[in-house]
Amino acid sequence: MNRETIIETVKDFLSDEFEVDKSKIQPDANLQETLDLDSLDYVDLVVVIEENFGFKVTGEDFVGIATFDDFYTLVEKKLAEK
Amino acid sequence: MLLNKENITEIIPQKAPFVMVDNLISADEHGFKSSFQVRKDNIFFKDEKLQEPALIENIAQTVAAGFGYVDRQVGGEPKLGFIGAISKLKVHALPTLNSEIITIIKHLYQFENVYLVKGENFCKNQLLVECEMKIVVQ
Repeated sequence: MNRETIIETVKDFLSDEFEVDKSKIQPDANLQETLDLDSLDYVDLVVVIEENFGFKVTGEDFVGIATFDDFYTLVEKKLAEK
Repeated sequence: MLLNKENITEIIPQKAPFVMVDNLISADEHGFKSSFQVRKDNIFFKDEKLQEPALIENIAQTVAAGFGYVDRQVGGEPKLGFIGAISKLKVHALPTLNSEIITIIKHLYQFENVYLVKGENFCKNQLLVECEMKIVVQ
């Protein structure tokens, strides 16, 4: 899966799961603020990531993930490790 | 039987009359199973049936008993847990007096100290209530 496909897939499931307009999901936008994530919402994020990409993420994986661009890089890395 | 009516309150924080689980039948990494009998003196027994709040509480207390039991097995004290959220709640039926409720909890996901579980309770194989719960463990 190339980065472009990852970005489109992420936009689709995040906008659906967290009811956010796709136009707000920009590479340099803050992930937590844009999706209005609290600590409970991260479980939902973990669920949709596994449903869509087939890998699990842990709390450690989110260290240093601030923007959507960081998140796309994480997904790319995890997919490469599969 | 892992825990019974006499010792389950050593594990869960609730006390009478708010105890909505009698016995912890099993507990492992996949989930927990409990039983509970509908009694007339239950505070949620109304119109000859046990009402929805008791069944939801029964699911939550099964989770608490299961996690508490597992904590004890590894030598720790039961941790305090809170219901963070309830979703996908469906009420199918309400049990009558003296019915035995069997509750099954499946672990779905864990992220840090937040657990997502699916809870279902049954009476004679009839599904009563199902929901997902996020439990925050201290």
